[in-house]
Amino acid sequence: MLQKISAFVFLLSVWIIFSGKISVDVLIVGSAASLIVTLFFSDMLFREVHQKLPWYHYLRKFALLLLFVPVFFYEAISAALSVSKHAFEKEHSFNPGIVKVKTELTDVTGLTLLANLITLTPGTLTLDYDRVEKAYYIHWIDVQTLEEAEMKKKIIARFERWIGVIFR
Amino acid sequence: MMSLRLVISYFLMFTGAFFALVTVLGLLRFPDVYTRIHAGAVVLTISGVLITLGTAIYVWEFFLSAKVVLIGIFFLFSNPMATHAIARASYSRHIALPEEYEIDAYSEYLRRDENANT
Repeated sequence: MLQKISAFVFLLSVWIIFSGKISVDVLIVGSAASLIVTLFFSDMLFREVHQKLPWYHYLRKFALLLLFVPVFFYEAISAALSVSKHAFEKEHSFNPGIVKVKTELTDVTGLTLLANLITLTPGTLTLDYDRVEKAYYIHWIDVQTLEEAEMKKKIIARFERWIGVIFR
Repeated sequence: MMSLRLVISYFLMFTGAFFALVTVLGLLRFPDVYTRIHAGAVVLTISGVLITLGTAIYVWEFFLSAKVVLIGIFFLFSNPMATHAIARASYSRHIALPEEYEIDAYSEYLRRDENANT
């Protein structure tokens, strides 16, 4: 029930922002549309929590999520600058390759989010996830080392700790 | 005060346009499909977000800015899925195989799957 109510409120607020004003007809049409979407697809938007935690844990997770945004953009901009540097070179000096990096996350949302963050950062690109060995296959534009710990430190350790704390 | 806001928004938009230009250069100059996808990842992550942020600061009205920022967040959600789908399909359907790579752990993984199935 909480799942459905939160999905309804989220959809209605997105509708109000996209329509640009708050008036009676916007609210009527918006709540009708959100109600239909909520009835059919509410289990796709939010998941139900399995273990109960006290409320300040969720507040802490939300604060960490907000703190993570500038960290991510700092990493993304520094990675984008190094990819741009490769674009301006006369002779290509990089060494592309596909490497396998093990991860310690187990939660499905966390795994998906980590894969998307790796893809979003310029220079690394997730190709696949191996369920058996719990490893990502990552295309890396400039393979600098083949040692496992070094590779992990360079590609995913900067996001893995944040995701591991937020989605546990 | 108002001109400071305009200066910040112009700075964000011009930085975004610069990164878009770099993306075009990278798309033309990089050697194969996967490295070109890397160049394409720059434009939506960095320059899409910078241009939407600059536009949101430029219009500076609550609903319009929120709308523009929501479009930027949608970029951030849809970009990695499209990139990942293109790269994985072009690898596993043998459309563009990177045969000259020295380090290629993914081909071993695919071969292991084929052996397990037969």
